[in-house]
Amino acid sequence: MSDNSNSLRTSTTSAASAQPPLLSRRHFLWNTCGGLGGIALAWILDRERATASANLASASSSSARLAHFTPKAKRIVQVFCCGGVSHLDTFDYKPQLERLDGKTLEGKGENLGFFGQPGRVMKSVYDFRQQGQSGSWVSSLLPNLANCVDDLCFIHSMYAKSNNHTPATFQMNSGFTLNGFPSMGAWLSYGLGSVTDNLPAFVVLPDPRGLMAGGSINWTSGFLPANYQGVPFRTNAREPVLDLSTPAHIPPQNRQSDMDLLASMNRDFAEANAGDSAFAARLRSYELAARMQVSIPEATDLDSENEATKRLYGLNDESNRGFARNCLMARRLLERGVRFVQIFNGGAFGSPRINWDGHENLRENHNTQAATMDKPVAGLIQDLKQRGMLEDTLFVWNTEFGRSPSTQGIGSPGRDHHPTAFTCFMAGAGLKKGFHHGTTDDVGYFVDQNKVIIPDFHATILHLLGLDHTKLTYYHNGINRRLTDVHGELVSPILT
Amino acid sequence: MGANGTQTAIIVMSSGSSSVDLRPDERLWARRASILSVTACLFWAALAASGASGSAPTTNHWSFEPIRAATIPDTSKPRATVANEIDGFILTKLAAQGLQLSPATDRVTLIRRLTFDLTGLPPTPTEVEQFSQDPSPNAYHTVVERLLASPHYGERWARHWLDVVRYTESQGFEYDKLRDNAWHYRDYVVRSFNSDKSYQQFMREQVAGDVLEPVTTDGIVSASLLICGPWDEAGNAQANTTQRMITREDELEDTIGVVGQTFLGLTVNCARCHSHKFDPISLDEYYRIKSVFDGVKHGERGIAGSEETTQRDARIQSLRQGLSTAREETARLERLGRSRAAAGRKEVSEAPGPTPYTHWSFDRPDAPALPGSTHGSARVENGRLVLPQDGAYYQSAPLTKDIREKTLEAWVSLADLKQGGGAAISLESADGRNFDAIVFGERQPRKWIAGSSGFERTRDLDAPEETATAGEVVQVAIVYRADNSIALFRNGEAYGKPYSAGTLQTFTAGGARILLGMRHTGGGRPWLTGQIRRASLYDRALTPDDVAASYRASGLASPQAEVLANLTADERVAHDTSLAQARRTQAELDAIPPVPVSYAGTRVQPKPTQRLRRGDVKTPEAVVAPGALSALRQLSAEFDLAPDAPEAQRRLKFADWLADPRNPLPARVMANRVWHFHFGQGLVSTPNDFGANGARPTHPELLDWLADRFIASGWSIKTLHRLIVTSDTYRQSSIMNEKAGALDADDQWLWRFPPRRLEAEAVRDAMLAISGQLNRTMGGPSYRPFDILKFPANAYVPVDKIGPEFHRRSLYRMNVNSGKEPLMDAFDCPDPAVKTPRRGVTTTPLQALGLMNNAFVQRMARHLAESARRTAGDEDSKAIQAAYQLALGRPPNASELARALPASRQRGLDSICWALLNSTEFVYVR
Repeated sequence: MSDNSNSLRTSTTSAASAQPPLLSRRHFLWNTCGGLGGIALAWILDRERATASANLASASSSSARLAHFTPKAKRIVQVFCCGGVSHLDTFDYKPQLERLDGKTLEGKGENLGFFGQPGRVMKSVYDFRQQGQSGSWVSSLLPNLANCVDDLCFIHSMYAKSNNHTPATFQMNSGFTLNGFPSMGAWLSYGLGSVTDNLPAFVVLPDPRGLMAGGSINWTSGFLPANYQGVPFRTNAREPVLDLSTPAHIPPQNRQSDMDLLASMNRDFAEANAGDSAFAARLRSYELAARMQVSIPEATDLDSENEATKRLYGLNDESNRGFARNCLMARRLLERGVRFVQIFNGGAFGSPRINWDGHENLRENHNTQAATMDKPVAGLIQDLKQRGMLEDTLFVWNTEFGRSPSTQGIGSPGRDHHPTAFTCFMAGAGLKKGFHHGTTDDVGYFVDQNKVIIPDFHATILHLLGLDHTKLTYYHNGINRRLTDVHGELVSPILT
Repeated sequence: MGANGTQTAIIVMSSGSSSVDLRPDERLWARRASILSVTACLFWAALAASGASGSAPTTNHWSFEPIRAATIPDTSKPRATVANEIDGFILTKLAAQGLQLSPATDRVTLIRRLTFDLTGLPPTPTEVEQFSQDPSPNAYHTVVERLLASPHYGERWARHWLDVVRYTESQGFEYDKLRDNAWHYRDYVVRSFNSDKSYQQFMREQVAGDVLEPVTTDGIVSASLLICGPWDEAGNAQANTTQRMITREDELEDTIGVVGQTFLGLTVNCARCHSHKFDPISLDEYYRIKSVFDGVKHGERGIAGSEETTQRDARIQSLRQGLSTAREETARLERLGRSRAAAGRKEVSEAPGPTPYTHWSFDRPDAPALPGSTHGSARVENGRLVLPQDGAYYQSAPLTKDIREKTLEAWVSLADLKQGGGAAISLESADGRNFDAIVFGERQPRKWIAGSSGFERTRDLDAPEETATAGEVVQVAIVYRADNSIALFRNGEAYGKPYSAGTLQTFTAGGARILLGMRHTGGGRPWLTGQIRRASLYDRALTPDDVAASYRASGLASPQAEVLANLTADERVAHDTSLAQARRTQAELDAIPPVPVSYAGTRVQPKPTQRLRRGDVKTPEAVVAPGALSALRQLSAEFDLAPDAPEAQRRLKFADWLADPRNPLPARVMANRVWHFHFGQGLVSTPNDFGANGARPTHPELLDWLADRFIASGWSIKTLHRLIVTSDTYRQSSIMNEKAGALDADDQWLWRFPPRRLEAEAVRDAMLAISGQLNRTMGGPSYRPFDILKFPANAYVPVDKIGPEFHRRSLYRMNVNSGKEPLMDAFDCPDPAVKTPRRGVTTTPLQALGLMNNAFVQRMARHLAESARRTAGDEDSKAIQAAYQLALGRPPNASELARALPASRQRGLDSICWALLNSTEFVYVR
């Protein structure tokens, strides 16, 4: 049928190459629902199934059917720290750097940095202390996250493919270093659908200071249908979503009458063309739009939160530059059924730096960035925990790569990009607590044990959400594409 | 089918076993679902039998076989008459399923369908009226021909083509810079469709147009296909060699991917790391094709054709020769006058020149504003700063104030004219990394340039070479203005043309300093040898008059008047004549427009291509020669070229191979694309993949018949359109038929015309057209519906801009990678980086919100109301009728009018128009 983006005959080839049930399910759905507007219908049906259950807790059975297996997490929130957070100055404590401070680092092969100006070893610019019951090492840069370590699950052995921000950021978001591949959020929306009619399934909260490099490429649906792409909320603007509000010059009662008129026109048309589900879907899309006009402002309005909660996130503190609002907003969105909230900490590259790209002066840069990030993110983790949401929510904190043990240029106090070892952490559903996975060598240059490549990271996230990364596929131009391409091993040691 | 049934279908399909506990009503739905999927299952079985499910790739695949001129089916049984052969093929398949064609659709629906299909715009009410009333048996054909001849046809079909070839007007990746001139390729595609260029030629041009003789502008631009996708600028510039090589391999995969998928319907790119999993394309063959394109690089280039270039070059050369002769003559006479004057010359009293922030007059007693000291063998002697050899320079104390806008000036005599790289005067930051300087002979021998850190503010100049003899003092000055423009002067006159480059720098008090004789601290070859008489730094941008005044006031150079006074009358006439000649010639040279430039890619002669084991740049293997795919046995995959053959040869051979009529793929692939865009689904539903992992044709005989006719017509795409749109299959009704729907829900056998939602561009263009706002200007630079926030990278902020420029067709929208336009996006406008042979169609609340509230839609609704009022006058019912006619091509029926009338009276005609633009009927073609 004309409107199906992945077709009948496509799905047949998929089946011939042992396609996973999920894909078949979707194709089947498109093929059997009166054809026209299959995707539209799919979109709406995903929601109808969920709304049939009164709330998330009781929706588990239908969610389980949607997923490949019973998911540990029903929703996910990701904090993406742009620019490359130094693992050596946050969570990967390397006493050896103190001994080598000021010396030339030997025996590491080709220089991995972006600028190719290797300097001398620089010890961490912060003091490290062990924190919590787990005794996790955390630097003095992040005093608030230090209080959360017993809930966190660290991966110290991350490995990125590129030493260049945007390809590395693309890889973290889409599994590929190139333009044009669907982001993880799009894959999740495609794989799991949404749990609410009232809000988008995949919401992006960009840093209030500005968009990161690559902008909307980071939440694109790539070759997946457009409805799976992330919806960026303009958290500073009057309208959180462009075109959400009725234009000011139109009186609300007039708009209501216009909507009634439109509905009657569209209903007549759908009835005159009975059997075409797309026409029914269009009618429905206007009903849902009207609901979003109410639910999005409600979800993004933080006024109803109590003072203690606002303080927990540091909402009244100017130094986080509005980022705290996004963290609190994320929790509200998750509560209201958004499947995936992606929060960016850090904007575009350039000067002055508004992300973690500490080339010139690491301390100065990371101090500024941590002041925006530490308290709000710690607040979010604690808030999710105290509300019991961490039980079935996956929390992910990541950056695109780490920073080099040596300075960038002799005598400079900055560090260059470093893709071959860095730290990320997760928390929540299905994960061990206060746990550390993977190690790096004595200077944090290469992974020593349990290397985790980005596809492994993605496979594990999908797994926690009940999806088998080898089965979540979509046919595009000759290939049954996956978020993890042809790679990806589950990082099982971190799972409960 | 309801939600419940679908849900059950999910369970059945996803479990793959009977272990799922179904309720009785669910079982019923499941059974029905399985009946509906029976065709699919049959197809799976056929496919499994054909060996695509895991056994080795085969060259016996259907699409590799020669095109067969199929026997036209006898249709006398299912139906007495048919419009053309297409219907025969369609009816045969329908009959086999127990189906038939739907009745012909009405004329109003048909002309709307056809007009959108061929031009992407709605028919005007007059066009609808004329066609509806036309009693001629040729009425429909007349419309078809009118639309195929419309320039809007090319715009419509170019948009389809640009989707397939991932055309974008920004770089993508980190910087995502704009490609200001990539539009030349877009216009080439529009022209090609409009002129019904032979598709064979169209193909050849797009892989090798820049080297097809004679080289033309169109030819050069056409090959932009190879590189019109995203490009990783930062990845190419980085220090790490391995990563840079990977970036380059990614680029080539993209090029190979677009060529393979667009023309051959084969995913050749899949063989980069290992031989193709489904198709007979080996790793070796991937690298042979890579060798074909290994010399193709991203970037801008001049697009003048060879004839144009020859004429232009000849003209420039002759003018330059004339200029040089005239200048030499002028200079000779001036030298003569100067030497005569030199003997008994006294300082001429002139008006004082402009006052500098600081200056050094080594020939005068006045102390410099900034103290300084000589270094190396530099010394002050006889009123001159003498710089006898490398290492000699003068350095001032730090500036006492910040300097932004500025002028550098020096009075210098060069020891010789062969030297290069040194500076007469330089303003540099304390660490020497940032500087602006008057540099001699560094990039162009014997010429002055504005030297700068990283050449950021440096441009080569079209200016005369220095001719000053040893000891002759020359004034050179450079003016740096706040608008980033930079102008050079020599002896009080402009030296080359002013230009803009980089960003004006601030040199800060307490750190920055002046150097004389050295370009900058830490630079290679920074030394100037010769003598400096005076040097000045101005804290402002001098005007040309200021510079000339400074020249005159110095008394260092002989004033022109004095020089001329020492010539004889004849000599003066000769001088003035050659000077005028030089000025005229220079003006003529300046008037020659620059060669137009486009993002058409550059070429290098590559090193012989090596196969990469597992696609890894660190494991190169054997050298391979350029070649093609051996799976197409009708053609030789051998090019008989050596691995180091000229890169142009490689692409020419590939173009020959590709466009050879015996190559069975291109004609099939293109015929299928045309079919796809008319019916919303191709005969092969995977238009970029005719390989074993792609779909099989629903109507293989029809596909071959179309491909055969296509080639026989001289690869005329318009012939394909004519055949398709005049068929009964195309002209049938789209009304749902429950019985047929139950048998073939997907309408793959075409028992009705499949209704289709308009693409984003068509929705927007239709709004502009019906509201009388469409600016039909074709071609040229794209409109930019965004503001750009510049870091080193571009960030695009969508802005609803108003004005005729922004009311051009959406084809002319600058489609950038990282900044999307929400309304276009909501209507499934694809990511420009993605090769998109078929667009998704989604219906979402965000799309509804866009149509409801977007400012553009509000404006168009208002304009539509004005437009309707203009035609219909003040009477509400007539205005409503006019609005319906414009938007839907039909008048409202009685109940629609009855509903709209009170609404219009109460809330205005805008409300009705808003509802029309939001209506399902408006955004769908049936």
